[in-house]
Amino acid sequence: MRFLRAAWFTLRSLFDRSTLDDELDLELRDHIERETRANMSRGLTRAEARRAALVAFGGVQRYKEEAQDTRPARWLEDAAQDARYALRALRRTPAFAVVIVLTLALGVGATTAVFTVVNGVLLRPLPFREPDRLFVVSWLPTDLPFQPPPGLPDRVYLAYRERVRAFEQVSAYQRAQFTLSGVGDATRLAGVRVTSRFFEVLGRSPARGRAFAADDEQPGRENVAIISDKLWRQRFGGDSQIIGRTITLDGVQHTVVGVAPADFTFPSSPDIWAPLAIRLDKGNSFILSVLGRLRSGATPPQAARELASIATSLPSDPRDRGQNVAAILPLKAVVTAHIERSLLVFSAAVTFVLLIAGVNVANLLLIRAAARRQEMALRVSLGASRLRLVRQLLTESLLLSLVGAVLGVLIAFAGVHALVTLAPAGRIPRLDEVKVDGWMLGFTLALSLAAGILFGLFPALDSTRADVRPATTQGARTVAGAHSRLRGRFVAVEIALAFVLLTGAGLMIKSFVRMLSVDTGYDASGVVTMSVDLPNTSYPDAARVQQFHTALLDRLSHIPGVRAVGAVSFRPMGGMGIMGDFKVEGPTPLGSGFNVDKPTVSPGYFGAMRIRLLRGRDFSTRDDAASPGVVIVSASVARAVWPNEDAVGKRISMQDRPGPGDWLTVIGVVGDVVQDGALTPHATIYLPFLQVKSLFFINHMTYVVRTATGAAGVAPAMRAALRDVDAAVPAQALQTMNASMLEVVAEPLFQTRLLTTFSFLALLLAAIGTYGVLAYDVAERKREIGIRIALGAQSIRVLRMIVGRALLFVGTGVSAGILIALGTMRILSRFLFGVSPTDPATLATTAATLALVAVVAGLVPAQRASRVDPMEALKQD
Amino acid sequence: MDTDAVTVRQGTLDMLVLKALSLEPMHGWGIAERIQQISRDVLRVQQGSLYPALHRLEGRGLLAAEWRPSDDNRKAKYYRLTAAGRRLLATEQAEWERFMVAVQRVMQAV
Repeated sequence: MRFLRAAWFTLRSLFDRSTLDDELDLELRDHIERETRANMSRGLTRAEARRAALVAFGGVQRYKEEAQDTRPARWLEDAAQDARYALRALRRTPAFAVVIVLTLALGVGATTAVFTVVNGVLLRPLPFREPDRLFVVSWLPTDLPFQPPPGLPDRVYLAYRERVRAFEQVSAYQRAQFTLSGVGDATRLAGVRVTSRFFEVLGRSPARGRAFAADDEQPGRENVAIISDKLWRQRFGGDSQIIGRTITLDGVQHTVVGVAPADFTFPSSPDIWAPLAIRLDKGNSFILSVLGRLRSGATPPQAARELASIATSLPSDPRDRGQNVAAILPLKAVVTAHIERSLLVFSAAVTFVLLIAGVNVANLLLIRAAARRQEMALRVSLGASRLRLVRQLLTESLLLSLVGAVLGVLIAFAGVHALVTLAPAGRIPRLDEVKVDGWMLGFTLALSLAAGILFGLFPALDSTRADVRPATTQGARTVAGAHSRLRGRFVAVEIALAFVLLTGAGLMIKSFVRMLSVDTGYDASGVVTMSVDLPNTSYPDAARVQQFHTALLDRLSHIPGVRAVGAVSFRPMGGMGIMGDFKVEGPTPLGSGFNVDKPTVSPGYFGAMRIRLLRGRDFSTRDDAASPGVVIVSASVARAVWPNEDAVGKRISMQDRPGPGDWLTVIGVVGDVVQDGALTPHATIYLPFLQVKSLFFINHMTYVVRTATGAAGVAPAMRAALRDVDAAVPAQALQTMNASMLEVVAEPLFQTRLLTTFSFLALLLAAIGTYGVLAYDVAERKREIGIRIALGAQSIRVLRMIVGRALLFVGTGVSAGILIALGTMRILSRFLFGVSPTDPATLATTAATLALVAVVAGLVPAQRASRVDPMEALKQD
Repeated sequence: MDTDAVTVRQGTLDMLVLKALSLEPMHGWGIAERIQQISRDVLRVQQGSLYPALHRLEGRGLLAAEWRPSDDNRKAKYYRLTAAGRRLLATEQAEWERFMVAVQRVMQAV
């Protein structure tokens, strides 16, 4: 009951204050009146009685205020009053308020956006049961020319699964692609084959239906599939009878046994999970990706040692060079590995922006406080409590921070949206789950408020010092001088930070331009590509595959507007490749382990791609199964293997132990091409598709078509040609070669764009900061400038003085910035192509840009200074 | 002001107010009179200081107030003890008595 009463009282004092005040007034007056009458009844006159009553009472105003102070929500009333005063004060200087709010909003909003993405991609735990117990298992050679993804050879996996004790469960998976037909157009889907324990290891089960059972791995029973939530909704309309329905994958009927949960996208957002039946092949061993759940109490080093001992106890593979290393890696690290650096660079960049914004806000608040020093001093001398004044000034800062926070939230939303949209497709894991959530909003608010308090406190304390000397005395001028130097140092700091950011962006831009102008070895303009995958079921042997390719090549060459046609098993920038070594007939300076790309091509491919034919001839239709085996090598192969001789006529073999029929003759030498994102030319040996027997090398082909007109006209005709040859085979990746190039550079493009945006922001903020400080300096020193002009100084000199000050800021800032940049740009070297992290040209350009911007920012105040009317200035005191 | 009058501190003032109201509800002036009366004029509270105390006690729910017509038909704000107020008074009174006994013992044990 007591608390109800107290609550009611609190409510009344919050919302009905004026009534309460009136009541209190009445109450006190009533008291005085009663005391007066009592005194009168003791014989005093009315006037005397009243006076005595007032004396007995004590200070009416004082007790009235004390009584008001006891109201529970007093602090709230005070805060409301502070807020009202603050609003009024801010309205008097709208420009300041707007700039501070915008600066805060930009800084805080951008930071929140980046950190939302970093949280969503890097920091957030994976959506599995106890995700920190999930590890990727790897046993792979470390001395290969490229870094293979972690995995186990299939034989090792089978043994490991039997004998492992450090893991509760392990499961293997292999990414695959499936052609879905029979439901709308035939399409190619990303998928993965997994062993039966897969879902169990991860600790999630399908949202509908069931996971795989041990039976499903048996050969013959593996025609089941689990589909993704997205596929279920988009292709099957969310059919509630989906379980048990049959779908056609790669021409084979599969039964749908489950639908994955909406947030389950491991690995790499597949649409299909199918059982992985491990069939050991005598000649080849396949690498499987393996993950497992560590037993509680076991540690990764223990697991690694166990793996090494199990793997080395197996009968060794003759091709194994024994340089294998056991690695047990946390699953999250593997999933986010390649993006981690990038995101960290972004975080650093946006923190710079935030710092610059913060320095700007600090400077502006300092300037504002300095301008109101007289007002504050007057109020203090009139008896205002310093605490109250500081509280009011802080309220102003907080109000600005709040508005800044709200605006910042809007910017954060927009920023996250932009980041997610602009990010290179498929390169950033978990990006589609990134959302601005309550934590992030809280973060924005907290950051903004912290900034407001932090940057508002010093000016508030400083300007309310009870130092009531007029601004013209010596003492005040020293203080002003110290303040001016402080502001100048702040600006130098801003410029240093902006310099570092701009340098980073400049380096990235230069690197990106270099990437785009690399000599690829072919001419991509006007080239359209289309890929096909021929399923083993309808194309069980090489002859049928070759028939298909011949037929399609022929059809494509007859499309109007097509100048040349060719096919290659994996195209440049296609993201895949087959590499291997080869044997050379005769003496050669080459050691072993020289790996080359081994694509299969059609006659006319080099012509279609305008790859230079340096010696000999191209393949022709007469180089077929019945003719002697031939190959074409690229220039770097010819140089390496036959340095001073003509490669044409020499012989090589793809077999490890070539028999008499296994030798292939080199009939031509072509230029090297750039095969992948590393943008270095590859050593390549080309095989003619008509002579290749192994399905593996020819059932995936990319057709390249050189057009006179460009892609748009030709694409439908290409699709039609494919349909004519075999309607069950879907067209994939039908796009221009240029588009493919852009895909390869999508990530660097994204990074460059982002860094450039941040640097522009930083530059803008630094310019505003410089302008603000210089403008205030001029205003403060108006009298001094007036005197100088009166004494005969020319406007030019005054102008130079102000601009000189701007250049001083820049000079200090840039020098500091160069030092910081030299130390930190190394971090970017992983992203830079053909550009050194300390590239002097970029550093020089950045310095010049900043100098220019600072001078421009200083021109307006400088102009104003040079036009000061000495009479005006001297009068103002 | 009487030089013999003892200055009353805040906590004690609260207790005196509660006690003064324990008989019947009263308005502010009446409470001042009553305290003066009962203490035989030793305790003279500066009258204004009652009001912060009264409002504070009201805010804590120990007193309830209402505006009523008084003896001369003018409206006055009457305060009364709530159940919580009564309980607190009893506790405070017991505390005070223990305190007095202790002080007395100390004073007498010389």
